[in-house]
Amino acid sequence: MTQYIQNPVLWALLAATCGAVAVIVRQRKSARALRAEIEEIKAHYADLENSFSRSVESEKEQAQDATKSVLKSAMRTLQGLAAEQQSVISGLQSKYGESVILQDLLEIDHTNSQFGRRAQSIAVLCDGWLGRHRDVASVYDVVRSAQGRIRHFRRVEILSQVDFGITSRAVEPLALALAELLDNATSYSNPNTVVEINIRTVPKGICIVVDDAGVGMNDEERARAERLLSTERVSGVSGLGSPPQFGFAVIGVLCERFGFEVSVDSSSPYGGVRAVVLLPHDLLTAMPERQAPAAPVAVPAPAAPAGAGGPERAVAVASTADGLPKRVRKRPIAIVPDGTGGAPAGSRSGSETAAIMGAFQRGTLSGRSGRPERTQQTSSTRDASSEGHEVS
Amino acid sequence: MTDYDELGPGAADLVRPYVITKGRGLPDEKQLSLITLVTAAGDEQQRPTSLSPEEQNLLELCTAGYLSVAEIAGHTRLPMGVVKILLSALTERGYLITRPPVQRAPLTDRHILEEVLDGLRAKFG
Repeated sequence: MTQYIQNPVLWALLAATCGAVAVIVRQRKSARALRAEIEEIKAHYADLENSFSRSVESEKEQAQDATKSVLKSAMRTLQGLAAEQQSVISGLQSKYGESVILQDLLEIDHTNSQFGRRAQSIAVLCDGWLGRHRDVASVYDVVRSAQGRIRHFRRVEILSQVDFGITSRAVEPLALALAELLDNATSYSNPNTVVEINIRTVPKGICIVVDDAGVGMNDEERARAERLLSTERVSGVSGLGSPPQFGFAVIGVLCERFGFEVSVDSSSPYGGVRAVVLLPHDLLTAMPERQAPAAPVAVPAPAAPAGAGGPERAVAVASTADGLPKRVRKRPIAIVPDGTGGAPAGSRSGSETAAIMGAFQRGTLSGRSGRPERTQQTSSTRDASSEGHEVS
Repeated sequence: MTDYDELGPGAADLVRPYVITKGRGLPDEKQLSLITLVTAAGDEQQRPTSLSPEEQNLLELCTAGYLSVAEIAGHTRLPMGVVKILLSALTERGYLITRPPVQRAPLTDRHILEEVLDGLRAKFG
């Protein structure tokens, strides 16, 4: 053993081992420190990345908000102008209703409606103003209103009607959503095909079915439409593609905000797309009054004294909302070749007829027998007059 | 700019006139003038339900007997031309009968009247 102790090689080995251990320990320590540093840097980097993406996101949002608010106010102006122009056109239409200008006025009106709808669509995507307040309207009228807002409205045919009205707050959004559907339907189908609209009552409310005979949608387009109609759609005006396709995005926003459903996942029997709008019961109401709702209120006051004057006057006082007297329903004038003229005579019984004829006969008899001298007189005057004629 | 809501009645504007006429053109003035008389043809029961409310309204007005085009337009709120378009469309489909206005009685020649007057004066005057 001692020989080993005295061996310097052993000592050298020992010293080397100690040194190595020390070196290893130091290395380990520094490696640990390095690793910790790396972790720290990684965390820092992640932090930075997060905050960067967050700021980019917020910047994007801000930019989008700015775009939205600019577009919103711009569209508000355009919508206002379109509405103003529409009322001017309405005035002109009633002013020049009798002239040939009316044809052109109707064309201008049509273009103006389309222009108004475009502005409205963009406004809806920017959470803007939807349009003026509307009164309760029948489903049929709302569908026709939508029909009037697209270019090829002549190709749209409404095949059925239901006796339901739409609550006033849903009139404008529904008309706009339907207009977008009809616009798609007419744009993606042949110009000489018809787009059919069927309105049906279903247990959940009312369905408005729009069928076109177009080319239909491929899977990709269908998926895009589904995505836009669902809640996970893009917000705002970005991501609408180029050229921008507003239709489904607008419909999606309106569905979410007003509580009706639109689905385009079935195909039409004509080969194109079948779009179904489902209106729940809380958007429906009773049919609105037909034209001139103010008339019955205004009329009764003059009707009462007239009724006292004579029975025939009481019938004649009904008037329209504009204060014009309304012609009362009566028998057709004799010009009409119609069987109704004989009806009153037929309704008389045989004994009545006999009594009338008898009275007539009695009257003539009594007249002839009672005043012979009077007959004389008349015959003499007749002679005189005939004499006069003869002379001339 | 905030007062657009007060621009006239909103209800009348929902359905625009060109939709009511379905984009048809104005009829010929000779076919349908202001004083052309119009009446409903046939039975009320024969009417299809597919008519628009405006068309049904016009038919109801016309069942009473002959009305002039001007009178009918007065009863509706629609512009005259729009009423004419609807009436001519209904006539084409056979729901209405139109009749040209009654001819005005021609005035007697003044010369003849004078001669008669002279004759009467010569006779009795």
